[in-house]
Amino acid sequence: MTAEVRLPLRERVPFGRWGPLRVAADPATWRAVPYLLGSMVLGGCYFVGLAFAIPVSVAFIVVWVGLPLLVVTMFLWRGAAMVERRLVRWSFGVELPDPYRPRPGRGFWNHVGWLFRDPATWKDLGYLLLLFPVGLVEFVASVLFWSVSIGLIVGPIAVVLDGEWLSVGDFRVDTMIEAVPVTILGIALLFTGLYAIRGLAWLHGALARLLLGTDETTLLAARADRLRASRARGVDAAENERRRIERDLHDGAQQRLLAVALDLGRAQAKMDAEPEVARQLLASAHAGTKAAIAELRDLARGIYPAILTDRGLDAALSSLAARAPVRVDVSVEITDRPPPAVESIAYFIVAESLTNMAKHAAATEARVHVSRQDLRVVVEVADNGLGGAVAVAGGGLAGLADRAATIDGILTVDSPPGGPTLVRAELPCTW
Amino acid sequence: MRVVIAEDSVLLREGLTRLLEDGGVTTVAAVGDGPALVAAVEEHRPDLAVVDVRMPPSHTDEGLRAALEVRARRPGFPILVLSQYVEERYATELIGGGASAVGYLLKERIADVAEFFDAVRRVAGGGTVIDPDVVVQLLSRRRLPRERLTARENEVLALMAEGRSNGAISARMVISEGAVEKHISSIFQKLELDPAPDDHRRVLAVLAFLGH
Repeated sequence: MTAEVRLPLRERVPFGRWGPLRVAADPATWRAVPYLLGSMVLGGCYFVGLAFAIPVSVAFIVVWVGLPLLVVTMFLWRGAAMVERRLVRWSFGVELPDPYRPRPGRGFWNHVGWLFRDPATWKDLGYLLLLFPVGLVEFVASVLFWSVSIGLIVGPIAVVLDGEWLSVGDFRVDTMIEAVPVTILGIALLFTGLYAIRGLAWLHGALARLLLGTDETTLLAARADRLRASRARGVDAAENERRRIERDLHDGAQQRLLAVALDLGRAQAKMDAEPEVARQLLASAHAGTKAAIAELRDLARGIYPAILTDRGLDAALSSLAARAPVRVDVSVEITDRPPPAVESIAYFIVAESLTNMAKHAAATEARVHVSRQDLRVVVEVADNGLGGAVAVAGGGLAGLADRAATIDGILTVDSPPGGPTLVRAELPCTW
Repeated sequence: MRVVIAEDSVLLREGLTRLLEDGGVTTVAAVGDGPALVAAVEEHRPDLAVVDVRMPPSHTDEGLRAALEVRARRPGFPILVLSQYVEERYATELIGGGASAVGYLLKERIADVAEFFDAVRRVAGGGTVIDPDVVVQLLSRRRLPRERLTARENEVLALMAEGRSNGAISARMVISEGAVEKHISSIFQKLELDPAPDDHRRVLAVLAFLGH
């Protein structure tokens, strides 16, 4: 059931995507404002602190106490950089995962080496020192812009209150007629300024990405490693799947059909001599064929459910839920159908989770929720069972994680002993 | 009775034709895809069409779509849809176009010859036939007031949703028709449904209740 999606205000204003009203209605604009006004203060604090702590530590290095001081300072500035990352994310919407190398084992020297060798430490320092001058510029620009545009806009009120509002040499504004154009100018300036704020936000975001972010090569290398590993596991998972299908066919339908053939052969032989026995054999063959059909159908559905291709996730998941032993609430809140690979993985995650639940969880109800967050499809399966589910290598959950990983998706299982269990998958849908 | 068959597997098409023939039903046309079905119904004006859901070219739901198109052109035309898998979604779509003279059965039900002919006759006569599996799917999802029903009433509800008449239900459950009627009025009361005398309206009421 696709719920009607109500567009946020910023999507509904006239004059298009980059129009002035859109910029004014976009929360991204207003989120940037406090940071642009306040970053100078933070930057000043960092600057003063660092300008004091670093020379002092360095000076004391000769008497050894300086080195621990310097390490502490480094930890502190990295902490400050972490705070900045969160501030920047909130204010400018720039995602900055912590770029640090993994922490080494115990030992003071290990930690010193780790701090000194990680380029992220030095880039953090650069950002914190730069924040003061940058913040100063942003502060001056912001204050000028806000005071001038608001000053111009409230002109008419000043005229009403004081009778005169502005006089520059011979140029005087003291009547309403004269004040109105000034107000219009102020409004125009305000909207222009909003664009400037977005521009400043973008620039600051770029600076932060450069100095606080992970550099592209490291990110790509990590992603390539992850994908290589998951591809290998994906291939294994596919192989296991084929083996399972072969076994199911062999143990199930094939044996049943063999029994049917046997019954029919015997019936043929007894047709004349013992018609009553032949009739019973025919009945048994009839039943056996139907059982084989049912088995093949279930097997085929397990390989790929036809309804998923035909009607998409909602219908397929509803059908899955209907066959679960307990009540399962399904809600699918996506309007466009994601790519087939994503639909299929989402489907099998739900299928496996529900199977696990039925087998182990002793749950009495479950909930399946599929939604879209930006460029990801998020699948959640929750139950009220016993919990304690873990992804064992080679098990169903691990297989699902591998399957999700083949499209760079992430599967998490949260299942404390005693429950409840939540299986959550985030699948990129620009696959 | 004259029927049109739409089924892309030649083997099954032949088998179905012969099976129907055994029961005195004439197959006036046997076609292999959706557009041919629509054309055959227009041409032969049969009493019933038996349609497979999965047909070329897409091998997804061609048959269902063709069936809906036939029903859109000729409202109330009896159609019995056969499907490899039963999906309540398909059943809902099919019944959405009017519940009378519609059947939706799992394909393998044709192996139970007597039951299959019963279904053919009921659909051709304007009745509704829903596969027990669909009913199970629907029933398993709805829990709320059904818990107030007794086991017997649940059984009656399931048979009712399949499109059975009071007579058929009483025969199936080996109870008197009067007892069936008593169960049904009790079910309608507990589920707060309007009692509907007409068979297919009754199915519609039950499915509507189960389906939302």
